[in-house]
Amino acid sequence: MLTYVLRRFLVAIPTLWGVATVVFIMARLLPGDPARVIAGVLATQGDVDRIRRQMGLDQPLPVQYLDFLGSLLRLDLGRSAHTNAPVLEEIGSRLPYTIELAFVALVVAVAIGILAGVTAAVRRNSKTDLIISSLSVFGISMPVYWLGLMLIIVFAVGLHALPAAGADQPTSIILPALTLALFSVGLIARMTRSSMLEVLGQDYIRTARAMGLGSGSVIFRHALRNALLPIITVIGLQVGSLLGGAVLTETIFAWPGVGRLLIDSIFFRDYPVVQGLVLMFGATFILVNLLVDLLYAYVDPRIRYS
Amino acid sequence: MRTKLLALAVVGGLALAACGNGTTGTPTGGSKQGDTLRIAIGVDPDTMDPMRQTTTTIQNIVQMVVETMVKIDTSGKVQPALATAWQTSSDGLTWTFTLRSGVKFSDGQPFNAAAVKANFDRVLDPASTCPLCGPMRGVKSVDVVDDTHVKLNLAKPIAPMLGLLTEVTFGIVAPASIQKGGSTYSDQEKPIGTGPYTLAERVKGDHVTLQRHDGYWGTKPNYKSQKFLIVPEAASREALVRAGQADVILLPPVSDLPALQRDSTVKVLLAPGDRTIFMAFNTQDSQQTLLQKPEVRQALNYAINKDQIIKSVLFGAASPMDAPMASTLFGYCKVGSYPYDVSKAKSMLQAAGASNLTINLVSPQGRYIQDFQAAQVIANDLTAVGVKVNGPRTMDWPSYLGTINVAPAKASVDMHLLGWAPGYLDASQAMVQFQSTQWPPAGLATSYYQNPEVDQLLAKANSESDQSQRATDYCTASKQIWKDAPWLFLWVQRFPIVYSSKVTGVQSIPNESFYTMYASPA
Repeated sequence: MLTYVLRRFLVAIPTLWGVATVVFIMARLLPGDPARVIAGVLATQGDVDRIRRQMGLDQPLPVQYLDFLGSLLRLDLGRSAHTNAPVLEEIGSRLPYTIELAFVALVVAVAIGILAGVTAAVRRNSKTDLIISSLSVFGISMPVYWLGLMLIIVFAVGLHALPAAGADQPTSIILPALTLALFSVGLIARMTRSSMLEVLGQDYIRTARAMGLGSGSVIFRHALRNALLPIITVIGLQVGSLLGGAVLTETIFAWPGVGRLLIDSIFFRDYPVVQGLVLMFGATFILVNLLVDLLYAYVDPRIRYS
Repeated sequence: MRTKLLALAVVGGLALAACGNGTTGTPTGGSKQGDTLRIAIGVDPDTMDPMRQTTTTIQNIVQMVVETMVKIDTSGKVQPALATAWQTSSDGLTWTFTLRSGVKFSDGQPFNAAAVKANFDRVLDPASTCPLCGPMRGVKSVDVVDDTHVKLNLAKPIAPMLGLLTEVTFGIVAPASIQKGGSTYSDQEKPIGTGPYTLAERVKGDHVTLQRHDGYWGTKPNYKSQKFLIVPEAASREALVRAGQADVILLPPVSDLPALQRDSTVKVLLAPGDRTIFMAFNTQDSQQTLLQKPEVRQALNYAINKDQIIKSVLFGAASPMDAPMASTLFGYCKVGSYPYDVSKAKSMLQAAGASNLTINLVSPQGRYIQDFQAAQVIANDLTAVGVKVNGPRTMDWPSYLGTINVAPAKASVDMHLLGWAPGYLDASQAMVQFQSTQWPPAGLATSYYQNPEVDQLLAKANSESDQSQRATDYCTASKQIWKDAPWLFLWVQRFPIVYSSKVTGVQSIPNESFYTMYASPA
């Protein structure tokens, strides 16, 4: 197991390197001259050249690339071209908000999703199943944008019950987390339902029932545990869509997380911050995938990595 | 706000520049005291340093903390602020300012001539990052005459000096905080000024809070604090003011303006602005040589139903242009209009031998209020007078700029929609669009307009120290430009502000600035 974990970590390094290279290339393929943007149009050519030198943009691409990789190894992501603060500091001040939002959304999504999926599976083809299945499709198909605005209109403008935007009240997180969770709720519920249906048809469930075990025990201890594998995969993948969804959700709800920072940075051609963020997103994906793989082994004793 | 920022970001340092509104003034609201005024804006400040800041809305906030020598009032006129009087030498090479006495910075230090000198030395230091300093670079040195008099020595006359001094770029921060070599010399994230508010807190991406400065020398504001909520999405800002969670918002979604105007819980202020929106013709067009003829360009100006577009596409958030610049600028004079007249347009086109005109047309999307939507209607209006229009095509902003901001030989489109806001409310700033020295890549005069007479008039006006003569020269040039029609003259964009009816005294300055300094509970 330990060697497996180690090996996976080692494999993650070239993957990250690949991400870094793609990020580096993409940033340079974007139209527009960042030095010009930073300097402003009133600036003289001398100012622009000075900024270009400071940013190392006057160097040949291979040199820029090596510099970039070198700084990465030192965990130096450079300074924001827009605010002049270190990129790590920029990301660091925003990251806790996104982690909080994604975590709450994920907890909500997993709790509601699994419960709804199990209920739908157990009461297959009933009215409850129909309602849950329809709501799941609704959740998956609703654009985050539209849903977020609807929630604001109902709960903030209409009922005056919750804050519409911002992050400075304890209740501020409710609407953005709900918006972000809803897409995942739908997916998790559907996956749970189909996986559970498969398991519930197995002989050992019938045996368990025949032995007189309570239905709660059968469903949660025997069925759900065996149905978990595909569900965990979906949840793992959700971390990705939560990060992606955070970009939109954070914009609508004025949540000061990294998703919005990414949008702003792209807008300002802030290469260093965009690079830093995309790398961070990439690293998160790789890490989550690794965790999901490790969880498999924990959940399903048949899977033993060697 | 996003539109605003978008509009500002690259059209240039000039367009980026914002005028400084002063930080003093007559109280405009009621006299009721309030706790916190919450204002939702769309842009997240990159810096609070007056020297480095280039976005109007953020400059507005900084201006409540850091005062300037002179300021613009809500009607757009220059008024005394930290300087109470000024004199220019006859050759225009020295400016002497008399400073207000008894003024203290919020850290208790006195404001005086040495403070002014320290600030000018900082912003004009070649090592400093000062994107909007360009026009001020003609200042050679600054002398302290005595405690309340300061003298600016110029290498060459700077005619719009007062306009420049209204910009918060040249605001005065406490000298102790900008000592050379100190950590805040190059970057002031918590500037200390003489203004009615102090910067109390800033959470990146979330909010900026200002706290009333009780030792303020002028009229004290009514709100103990003003809190700026950073909300990038226009629809969310609208929701905030409707839910009573913000008192003032800038730039709601324009399509909701009619509904907001009907809503009795909020008030809509369509503030006059300074941003002209136009379709620049390529007046040196080598593919479509007919566009080189002024008559053809005039004819096309008659073909557009501007009033109808403003009403139904822009929801009233603009007023038609009646000169090549906004009426809020020094040097503006009303020169005329091109009333909507299809048959006139058609006959003029025919007379000019342009009845089979083909034009390709581009527009940005989401940069100015309803830009692409308006471009579609314009294309339609052009078609109605027999022009074959390819477009409107649109593209992302950097590519757009890359397409239009090129030397004439590389031009690939015949008409393009653009917005232009002067750096400060002075005709010189608008007229760079009509100077042949400003053709790209040197400047951003993307219509490649050239009229030697206009060039001469503008060069003269730009360095003239007799202000009334300057105004006359700009007016004469404006009339010629209007006749030559290098643009499809469209409208001057307004700056929509929505505020709760529980608040009064929310005002604006005609350079896309809000003015909430003296707002109060209704």
